Amino acid sequence: MKQKTEVQQGTLALMVLKTLDVLGPLHGYGLARRIEQISGDLLAVNQGTLYPVLLRLEHEGAIASQWGASENNRRARFYRLTQQGRKQLQVERKDWEQTASIIGRFFEVKTEDLS
Amino acid sequence: MKSLRRFLNRLFNSGTQRAQEERLREEIAEHIALQSEENLRAGLSPVEARRQAMLKFGSVEAMKQDYRAERGLPFFENLLGDLRNALRSISRMPGLAAVIILSLAIGIGVNTTILSWIQLIRLEPLPAVSGASSFLVVEPRTDTGGYPGASWLEYRALQTQLPALRDLLASEMVPFNVGEKGQTERTHGQLVSGNYFSALGLKPAIGRFIRPEEVERPGTEPVIVISYDYWQTRFRGAPEVVGQKLRVNERDLTIIGVAPREFQGTMPPLKFELWAPATMTPALLGGARDLDDRTSRAFSLIGMLKPGATREEAQTEFTTAMVQLTGDYPEANAGITGEILPFWQAPRGPQRLLMTGLAILQGVMLLLLLAVCGNTANLMLARGSTRQREMAVRVALGAGRWRIVSLVLSENMLLALLGAGLGVAMAVWGTTALRIAPMIGAFPIQFQTRVDGLTLAFAILLGVACGLIFSAAPAVHLARLDPQEGLREVSNTPPRSRARKVLMAAEVGLAMVVLIAAALFLQSFRSARQTDPRFRPEGVLLASYDLSGRNPNEASEREFAARLLERLRSLPDVEAAAIATNVPVDLHGIPARTFTVEGRVRIEPGQDRAITNTVTPGYFKVMGILLLEGNDFAEMQDKAAPAQAIVNEEFVRRYLNGADAIGRSLQARARSFTIIGVARNAVYNSFGEPAQPAIYFSYRDVPAMQGELHLKTRTGNETALTSEARAVLRDVDPMLPLYDVRTFSQHIERNLYLRRIPARMFAVLGPLLLGLAAIGIYAVVSYAVARRTKEIGLRLAFGATSGRVVLQIIRENLGVIIWGTAIGWVLALVISVRVITKGPVDVPVFIGVPAILLSVATLACWLPARRASRIDPMAALRHE
Repeated sequence: MKQKTEVQQGTLALMVLKTLDVLGPLHGYGLARRIEQISGDLLAVNQGTLYPVLLRLEHEGAIASQWGASENNRRARFYRLTQQGRKQLQVERKDWEQTASIIGRFFEVKTEDLS
Repeated sequence: MKSLRRFLNRLFNSGTQRAQEERLREEIAEHIALQSEENLRAGLSPVEARRQAMLKFGSVEAMKQDYRAERGLPFFENLLGDLRNALRSISRMPGLAAVIILSLAIGIGVNTTILSWIQLIRLEPLPAVSGASSFLVVEPRTDTGGYPGASWLEYRALQTQLPALRDLLASEMVPFNVGEKGQTERTHGQLVSGNYFSALGLKPAIGRFIRPEEVERPGTEPVIVISYDYWQTRFRGAPEVVGQKLRVNERDLTIIGVAPREFQGTMPPLKFELWAPATMTPALLGGARDLDDRTSRAFSLIGMLKPGATREEAQTEFTTAMVQLTGDYPEANAGITGEILPFWQAPRGPQRLLMTGLAILQGVMLLLLLAVCGNTANLMLARGSTRQREMAVRVALGAGRWRIVSLVLSENMLLALLGAGLGVAMAVWGTTALRIAPMIGAFPIQFQTRVDGLTLAFAILLGVACGLIFSAAPAVHLARLDPQEGLREVSNTPPRSRARKVLMAAEVGLAMVVLIAAALFLQSFRSARQTDPRFRPEGVLLASYDLSGRNPNEASEREFAARLLERLRSLPDVEAAAIATNVPVDLHGIPARTFTVEGRVRIEPGQDRAITNTVTPGYFKVMGILLLEGNDFAEMQDKAAPAQAIVNEEFVRRYLNGADAIGRSLQARARSFTIIGVARNAVYNSFGEPAQPAIYFSYRDVPAMQGELHLKTRTGNETALTSEARAVLRDVDPMLPLYDVRTFSQHIERNLYLRRIPARMFAVLGPLLLGLAAIGIYAVVSYAVARRTKEIGLRLAFGATSGRVVLQIIRENLGVIIWGTAIGWVLALVISVRVITKGPVDVPVFIGVPAILLSVATLACWLPARRASRIDPMAALRHE
């Protein structure tokens, strides 16, 4: 169970970056909703886990935040992707694809390939 | 890069905790509000909508934990928390904290001050010259072990013959009379070689320095460099000083530049004000033949090794060169070899002597600091035990061992660093106080000690070390605490702490060593002050004159002294007057000379030596030195009498086996003297010295350029003679200044200056340490007694008298203290015999100091014991 959340933390960061890349600045709730829509049940519970991830990304300089007005004109914190974040997204995407393809190939391995 | 940025952000966040917390709170509220709205739209009831939103968000507290962990740096936050906690707990014990901080400050301050002295002498011997510690002194050495200095021609030869040295610098110390006729002022300067300033790597404050080509031909470049202080005080720092004329020894010299602010010449701690080309010697010193006379060894040589060269190589080259010089010039260089030594071992300066003294002082003061640490550890341990409950609660609530240790550590470190900070402040004050230049003998000296990076680092290191030392015991004690045990009622008699007793013994032992060292030092200082000098300094005025600018000869010197004395003796207030070349108890010492005397055959190799002073008739009367046999010297004008000498009792005892001395002939100074009298022994170089053999010569036979006037007043007020003496000298020679005027008592005081500094240090620190030890013992005993209230109450209830209770408590603790004292006593005895006195043991000190320490310790035990014995047994038993 614990392992699962750790994996989630990493993927969650990537999802945040990608979502901001595609949709532009969003507030926390907006982000949570989009990720929920796309990923299904990953954030169905524990939407709150998003916030420590946001803070870490902000510390790393991948995203920036500022106060703005939400749809119903309330104060909300808006996050946007920075130049550095864009670069980070590209790098991580490449890593991810590489990892995925390697793992994918391993899953396709049959007994005769290894003998 | 990324992680650095994250780290910096987090560090920053640690400071802005509140704003961050607020931001998160707001974000969560907004998130839940938006989710609730959506749930409402989906048709849920408002209450249910909000409940669902909260559920979906998940655990707010768990998330906040994560968020906080991400936001700040738990390590630093804990540290900050610890520090805040430490500050609070220190402010709850102001008295104890003050004792600890002050005692540490004194210990660290004294050690830092001493280190700054060692640093000055060992590492930065030449202020304003960087890398000065790597300079070497190049010293010709006679076969009798004297260091006469080098002649100018020798210097020129050595310059090319010592390839292992990068530069060889020569300088000669000279007194200058600066100013117009009738109002000259005595100022000390150096005559220097052409490479002097460039090899020292100095940059002038303004103007320029002496160029090498200005030190090629004798006497053609009348230029002079002045010191920064001289520039500031005599020319008010005016930049126009460059190009102005300065009248020096009746010659006009052009000021070409000002030396850097701290530069004081190359013979520390002497402080020079003027530097002129060495080739000006004949012009400035009335035709002195220093430049072409190989027997005139007036120059001091220093040099620095070339990269890669060693001192041994330089020494070999030097020895070879000196052997060659002996072959080439046997009449001037016979028996002269040479030594190359590190700067701080210069045989003709006080450095070597000071280093030994300072090293011992530093050792003793480090022991003092260690004793202070022991004391502090004990105080903290006693206090820590009263905090057992607090710590037990912390452990019970989940604090790890490391948290407890770091809590104790941060508290003690804070105390230690506060102490170190205050200690540095004291060291800064101490070093500046010591910088004030006193005149010692005729020379101004200055020790430019300071607190800089190195000394600061030393102070902080001492602080940290102290903190660690006195944290160790309480930290270990508290970290080992079992929370269940600690939470139980305190009066459950705890196991008696061995750590506390060992600490108490160690502290008392260290205090013993330091106190004995202090007492030995004070004792030697006091005995120095109280010894009968065997001459009478009361009512005697001293003043110096110097004819060296006059190119005098024996006849003119003799004539001058006779005329001066005649005039001085005619003054109504002068009871007696005399001139001597040396004054006893001078910091520079009185020279000793080799001699042979009729009736003495020396069996062992080497030559006999005796202290020599050259005096005029009347000297023994002024000084109150009794002539036991024979008569005073013949009058100055007497041309008939043969050359005369007067010896002292010790001379007769040692070299003539007490036989009759009068009439024997004595060979010294390359001529023959007849002994005409025997004088009482006196003190010559330092108080408390063993009796020294001495020979007095007469000014009539061997006149000198310099003279120290000794005037005995008739009225009892010797200072009143000053103006009269000046007037007489001005009458005899208007250009000649009378300098270094002082009473004999001032002369003695001034020359005890260097011994007085450590004496004062010990006089203050000794009682202080005794007080600290008493406080330490008191704290430990009263703590131990408090823990045993119930037991004591029980014994009182069963009929024990309070006297017996007191006696038992004292006996228990005094046992430990006596152990510590005994170990310290033995240690001190070993140190005393091996290092400090190297002689007989000072019995009163070795009995008196332990007696004082033990009585103070007994008192410190008795006070809490008596208090304990007065408790009401019923109250004590109900204590639980």
